[in-house]
This record gives sequence, structure tokens and C-alpha cells, in this order.
Amino acid sequence: MEKEKSSSFKGRGGDDKNYGADTTLLPVETSNCSNGKDPPAAEKNETEEAEKPEEKEKDRGGEVEEATPSTQIKYTMEKAWEDIEHFLLKVEADVGSEIPDSINQYLDLVEEKTSKRELPEKSKGCPLPDLDDDWSFLKVAQQMSKLHKHISKIFQLDSSQGPLINRIGRIHQQVMCYLEDEFRALLEESRVVEPDVNQEPAADQCAEPGEGQDQAARSNETLSNFPGYSQEALATLNKTAKEMISGGYEFECCEVYTMTRRNAIEETLNKLGFEKISIDDVQKMQWDALEREIPSWIKAFKACANVYFAGERKLAETVFSDNPSVAKSLFNSLTRVLFLQLLNFAEAVALSKRSTEKLFKFLDIYETLRGNVSNIDSLFPEECAKELNEQLMTACSRIGEMAICIFRDLESSIQSDTGRTQVPGGAVHPLTRYTMNYLKYACDEYKDTLERVYKDHSQIERANSTSQPLDYQGNSQSNDDENQSPFSTHLIKIMDLLDSVLDAKSKHYKDVALSNIFMMNNGRYILQKIKGSPEIREAMGDNWYRKKSYDLRNYHQNYKRETWMKLLGCLNQEGLNVNGKVVKPVLKERFKSFNAMFEEIHKTQSSWVVSDKQMQSELRVSIVGVIIPAYRSFLGRFSGYLTPGRQTEKYIKFQPEDIETYIEELFDGNTASLGRRKT
Amino acid sequence: MGSPIGGSPSNEAELESFQRQVADRFLDLASVPSDELLSLPWVRKLLDVFLSCQEEFRVILINNKAQVKNPPMDRLIADYNERTVKALDVCNAIRDGIEQIRQWQKLIEIVLCALGGDSNSYQRSLGEGQFRRARKALIDLAIAMLDEKDSGQTVAHRNRSFGRNNNSSSHTKDHHHRSLGHFRSLSWSVSRSWSAARQLQAIGNNLAVPRGNEVLATNGLAMPVYTMGSVLLFVMWALVAAIPCQDRGLQVHFNVPRQFPWSAPILSLHEKILEESKKRDRKNACGLLREIYQMENCTRLLGVLADSVQFPLSEEKGKEVKQRVNELKQVSDAMKEDLEPLEKQVREVFHRIVRSRRA
Repeated sequence: MEKEKSSSFKGRGGDDKNYGADTTLLPVETSNCSNGKDPPAAEKNETEEAEKPEEKEKDRGGEVEEATPSTQIKYTMEKAWEDIEHFLLKVEADVGSEIPDSINQYLDLVEEKTSKRELPEKSKGCPLPDLDDDWSFLKVAQQMSKLHKHISKIFQLDSSQGPLINRIGRIHQQVMCYLEDEFRALLEESRVVEPDVNQEPAADQCAEPGEGQDQAARSNETLSNFPGYSQEALATLNKTAKEMISGGYEFECCEVYTMTRRNAIEETLNKLGFEKISIDDVQKMQWDALEREIPSWIKAFKACANVYFAGERKLAETVFSDNPSVAKSLFNSLTRVLFLQLLNFAEAVALSKRSTEKLFKFLDIYETLRGNVSNIDSLFPEECAKELNEQLMTACSRIGEMAICIFRDLESSIQSDTGRTQVPGGAVHPLTRYTMNYLKYACDEYKDTLERVYKDHSQIERANSTSQPLDYQGNSQSNDDENQSPFSTHLIKIMDLLDSVLDAKSKHYKDVALSNIFMMNNGRYILQKIKGSPEIREAMGDNWYRKKSYDLRNYHQNYKRETWMKLLGCLNQEGLNVNGKVVKPVLKERFKSFNAMFEEIHKTQSSWVVSDKQMQSELRVSIVGVIIPAYRSFLGRFSGYLTPGRQTEKYIKFQPEDIETYIEELFDGNTASLGRRKT
Repeated sequence: MGSPIGGSPSNEAELESFQRQVADRFLDLASVPSDELLSLPWVRKLLDVFLSCQEEFRVILINNKAQVKNPPMDRLIADYNERTVKALDVCNAIRDGIEQIRQWQKLIEIVLCALGGDSNSYQRSLGEGQFRRARKALIDLAIAMLDEKDSGQTVAHRNRSFGRNNNSSSHTKDHHHRSLGHFRSLSWSVSRSWSAARQLQAIGNNLAVPRGNEVLATNGLAMPVYTMGSVLLFVMWALVAAIPCQDRGLQVHFNVPRQFPWSAPILSLHEKILEESKKRDRKNACGLLREIYQMENCTRLLGVLADSVQFPLSEEKGKEVKQRVNELKQVSDAMKEDLEPLEKQVREVFHRIVRSRRA
């Protein structure tokens, strides 16, 4: 800051060249507006109004003003200025040059002009400044700054020219003061286009990343809409800033700019629905209330990162086009604070008590933060971008950590689900449903984000633990045939955990067949969920999927063995033939126990549940395939040994078709028993 | 002194040494000469003290991991964590306050630029224009430095009394009307209804010396938790006392029994700071930071001077102005140097608290 300031002071010698350029420019501009408008106005008012300010000023520059009425030549501003410029050139060479009367006349005219500008503004509150008038006034400002600089360089205040220099300094200050006010008024009130906050262009942009040109075009459209100043207003702002800075009023200019823009941005954010909430409040809020705040925050954050910050930067660059370093520092100090404030909300949310239902909103925040890293890099100069990105990544990793902790919580909630209550009929356990639906949703909607969260996190972990060799990741990958990502690894861990918890639960069923049905049901449910979602399927990997399918077949076999192999035992021909003769009592016994056993199986297992229709029919088909041929051949072979009529009726209760029908009734969750139906 | 710390011999030494360390640090803070108390370097030292205490506390908790998870220790830690979350908002508000001081500095730059503390070429032409410019910035500064609690009326009143001898054009007055709302919205991180005074109260809520059975049940660990709670409360309170922030108020209930080795220095600091806040010229201050006080003094004197100067400027007045400007420049430079590291430290405290919660 100081360097710049002193250089602008010292640079005055160098500026002289510019003055030459200015003089050639000035008459052209002057002839355009001032010649047409100002002189008549000035002359008209001169007689009525000119006396008043003079009276007021008597105590300060009395002697100077008194000379005015007696002067013969009536100067216009341009004429007087021409004179002054001439004098400034002359005095450069010869300090002794006589000070022309035109200086005082010129000052009179400036004072008059400034006092006139004050009047309408006061009576009407703060109307939009008249832009045409601004331009002529800006020229006056430029001239005054030049005059002020030159004169105070040449003459000392305590010299005989003290009163004149004092007067020039005073009027210059006044003029600068007006510029400051106009600058503020322009910044505050000249926005023609209200930025349309409901359009939400930013959100769209982020929803489809990677579409470069289309996006750029759209965001350009919005940019031109924010901060909403007209081209004319921008041009005036630019010129005003330039005059203020070259008049030595850079601090004032920056101050006004910072304050007004700060208020404007805050207003815009409020319109977006983003409210400042303290961290403590966030902790106290109910989740459903906090949940509602998150979309507003996301909207505000995206709008800032994609539109408003860029708009602010462009505005600063436009208004301070002659002072890029000023533009840069203004933009930085304005947006930096705002950015940190926006991050603060994310930090606050990351501190709230975690629970599984919060995961998805957390991931939304994470995506929002993570998705805007490149924006920060492109918007802010290196140093500032570095700081902000650091803060952003800190917030990010906190949110990410929360997400990972939520998965760990899920793990421990699975683990702690040790209730001994059995699901009737061996159906899908609620824990399976909950876990799978949760994981499937997480993967369907957030898999990429989760992969990123885990990757970031494992990198941080690795960076933190020095004991890990550098090629840690490479090693862990080579040990794994499937190149599992850290997220996949955790996901598989959770699944395996679920599996073992289910396995423990299955042991609570007294009937081994039923515990197999339970495992089948749950396994099938898990596989179906995974098959239905390419994201989670990919995350689980082929190996896992294959193994799980294999397990499922095993449960099926185990079930068949438990239930139906025993039944088949009744149809065993062994022991029926003794010395080539069929032993009838044994045969009768066989039929009896077959019937009883089948009835029992039917009774219990039709109350069992296999809710997956395909699996249900597969099971039935497979049972039929085992039982029916065996039964049919048994019947064919031995039914003849029974006396037709009563005996046959008594011992052959089921025809093969009956068996099939009854098998079709299994696993329906039906509690009505065969026996009851018969009666 | 009779040690209030119970516990097994193994960690007794550790806990004892923690108490001593805390005491030594605060003794150090309390032993500064009165003109260094509440200065920027002192506040920075205060934050360092907090960070060191917090770190040692963390180590104690790590060394006693098993204890920490069991009741009643888990509850005590949860209580402490709740206090620290509340302190996070104080950190943010303080950061806003630092930002606010930065804004004041920009106004001071204008004064320095106008009255040419560092530019020889402008020095010799100190005229009415320069004084008006400086005066305008001084008035803006006075308005900006008013405590937010002050109503608009007080602002207007003070404003008028500040520029009492100001017979400048109506324009300057017009300008003031506009600036009133101009500086208001400087608090960024906390909601409008947020109150530092209430927050401090919440941090200190139910902060009580652990009962004998608690000390026994926690193997003495309840003591450092209480100590850190008190340290946290005091540090946050002192920050709020020193630095402008929303709805400051120092009437927090601060009741530390004398039995701890650190209670004497903390209580003495507390008393000294309270005394400072009750001084007539500090009563309405927006922050007790020594540099703010100096800034206020310098700018007030400059304001009076600017209101009273006659032109052409007498040599004597010129010298006086030069002297005042130099003073102001010194204060401003000192602030410039320390504000940024202070802000970083506040942020470090913030992050440290956040990290400690998840450990």
C-alpha cells in the first residue's frame, strides 16, 4: 500500500508528459458538452447565485473574491482553464511568473458548480446522478487535481501565495468529496438490472459438469446480469475512480467501494435465502430445520463461486481498470471474508451430531465444496487462492470425515443388532432391508462422491502416519486382485459384517432348514439389490458377487438336505426286501412315516416365507425334482403290495400330483395347515 | 498447598504438573506491567497460553483413554466439548472484530495521507483542504468505532459533538447522514441476534468444581476438565473484553475457588480487566485493546486539533499536528503488524478446538 502511495506522489514528474496529452484531449471533449450547455447556465445563474457562496466564503478567501466583480473579462470555465494550463507551463520554467487572475475566476466557477450540484441532491433525497453532468464535473475534478498538484508543488503554503494555495486545496477537497458521494450513490443506486437470484443458473451448471462451452455461454449471460450496472454507470464509475485516485483519494475511493459492495453482496445473499447462523445455533437446531437450510447454503455457495465472485472481480476490474493492483486487492478483501463466512456454515454442520440420515445432505455439502476448488484457483490470485483452498479443503475433509464416521456408525449399529427376536418364517430381516436400501441409495446417488471422500481421507491418513511406506497404496492394490478402492473396501467390510450378523441371527432358529431359508432370503435380497444398481455392483466387485451367489446355492443345498433328504429316507428300498420278499409291516411303516413327515413339512414350511417369487418357484421346482420321481417310483414299485381299498387308502394318502400341489403351497407364509384344511 | 487433586500415583504427577503449568502461564500473563495488559502482544500471548493448555489437556486425555470413555468422565468431557463449541462462535465474532479494526485502519490511512505523516512534499502544504479531508475521515472513524449497542441517536449526538467546531459546508453533514448505516453490517459470521455477552454466559454455564466423589470416580481427571473449562471461559471473556464484537458484555459470572494454583493469577487478571472496563474513558469503548485506546486518544486529539486550527497554520500548531500524526502512525503501524498474526491465531484456536472434539 505504502509503496503505491509514495510512488503516486513521486510519480508526478513523470505525469507531466501525460498532462501534455491531456491538454490536447481536453478542448475536444470540452467543445462537445461544455460549450453547448454549461456557459449559458453559468452565466444565467451568475448574477443571482454567485453572490451567496461568495459571502459565505468571505472569511476564508475574501480578498480573492472581491476582485471578481471588477474584472472585465468574463471567463468561461474552458477559457479560464486554457489560461491556467498556459500558466502552469510557464511557471514550470519560471517560478516568478505572475499568477493570472483567471485562476481565481476559475475557482469561483468551480465553487459555483459544486454548490449547484449539492442542491437537487438534498431536496430529492438521493436521485440517480445525472450522468451527462457527471462527465463535465469529472473533467473539473481532473483539472482541479492537476492544478492542486502543480501549485502545491511550486508554491509553499507559507509563501505569499498561501491563501490561493489554501483555497485550491479546499476546493479540491470539496470536489473530491463530491466525487466520493457520487461514487457511492452510483454504486448503491444505479443498478439497472436487479440480479435475478431465482434463476439459479449456478445450480444447473454444477449438475452437469464437463460441458464446457454451453456452460460458459450461459454463465456469461448471467455474469452480464450481475452486479447489474449499466454500461454508462460503469463508465462513470471507472472515470470517477480514476479521478479520485489520481487526485490522491485512493483510500476514500476504496473505502466507499468496499463498504457499498459488501452491503450489496450481503443483500444478494439474503435474497438467496442464506442467513447467517452461528455455530451454536446449528448445534441446537433440529435436523429437519437444519436440513432445510442446507439447500439455501448450497445455492448461495454455488452462486458465489460461479457467478457472484466472478461478477465482483469483473466489476472491480472494470471500475479500477487503470489500477489493476487496486482492483485485485479490493476484490480479495471483499470476497475473502464472504468466502470464509460461507465455509463457516459447512464447518458448523460438520460439528453437529452425526446420524445416518444426515449422510446425504453432508455429501451434498461435500460435493458443493469439492466441486468449486478450480473456481477458487481461477478467481483469486495465487496467494489468496492458496489460503482459501486450504480452508475449503479443511472444511471438506471435516465433512468427509463425518461421512466416513457415519459409515462406521452404520457398521457398529449393524454389529450391535443382536436382538434374539426371529423374523417369522425366515423372511428378510429388517436390518438387511435397512442396510441394503441405505447403501444402495448412497451408491446410486453418491458413489463418485463417496469414492472421492474415501480417497481424500485415505490420503490424509497416509500423510499423517509416517510409519506407512510411501508405496502403501501400490502394495495394498497388488495384494488385492480387484483393485479395490478405499470405499469399496469399506463397503465390502460392511457387507461382510452384515453377513456375519445375519449368520448369527440364523442360528437362533431351532430348525436348521429354516435358518437356511433365512440365509437364502436375506442373501437373495442383498444380491437382488446389488444386481439392481450398477454402481453398488461395481463397488462390490465380481469376486464378492460370485462368492455370494455360491453361498446362496449352498444354503439351498443345505436346506434340501435338511428337509427333503430325510423324507427321501422313507422311500429308501433298503430293508424293505428280506430274502426277496417285501416286508409289509415295514412298508406300511414307511408309508406312514412318509405321510406324517410330509404333512409335518407341509404344515411348517407353508408358513415359512420366501418372498422372492423367482427364488420361491426355483425352490419348489427343485423340491419337486427331488421328491416326485422318487415317490412315483416308490409308489410304482410298492403300492401293489398293499391291499387295494381300505389299506391303500390308509397308507397311500398322497398321489404324486397331490405332493406337487402341496409343494406349490410351501413358503407362502401361510399358517393354515394341511390337516386343518382336511377337516 | 493442599492438593485438591486425587487419583492414582501414576497419573497424579501428570495432573499435578498440568495444574502447575496452567498456573505458571497465567502468572506470566498477570505479571506484565499495566500498560502491556490488553495490548495486542498480550492478547496474542493469551491465545498462545490457551493453545498450550489445550494441547497438554489433550495429551492427558490421550494418556487416560480408557477412563475418558467411562462415566462420569464421558459426561464431563461432553460438557467441556459443549462449552468449546460455544467458544467457536466467539472466535468467529472476534475474527469479525479484527476485520472491523482493519476497516478503521483504512480510515486512519486517510488521516495519515491527508496530514502527510510520511510525505514531505505534502507536509509543507498543510492547508484547509487537508484538514477537512482528515476531519471527515476522523468523523467516519468515530462513527465506525461506536459500540454497536449505541442507538442511532447516540451516534448522531456524538457525531455532532465531535464536529462541534466544524463550520464547514453543509455538505459534510449531509455526508454523515449517509455514513450512519454505512458501517453497520460488519459482523459476518454470526447471526444478528447473536450476543457475545450471552455466549460467554453459556460457556460458563454450570461450570462447577467437581465434587469429591466425581474426582474419585474419575481418578482425578475431573480436575483438569474443570481447569480447562475455566481457562476457556477466561480466555474467551478476555478476548471479548479486548476486541470489538457483537453485543459485548463482561458481566459473566466468574467464580473460581482460590484452592487452585492458577486461580490467583486468573482472578487478578479478571479483576484488572474489569477495572479497566470501568474507567471513565473506557466505559463506552468498543474494545479494551490498548491499541484501540491509543487510537481513540490520538484520533480524538487530532480531531480537536483539526476543529480548532486557523489558517494559515501557525508553526506551533503545525508542529503539534505533526507530532499527533506521528503518534497515530506509530499506533497504526503497531496494529498493522500484529493484526494478521492475531487473526491467524484466532483461527488456530478455532481449528484446534474443532480437532479436539473429534479426537
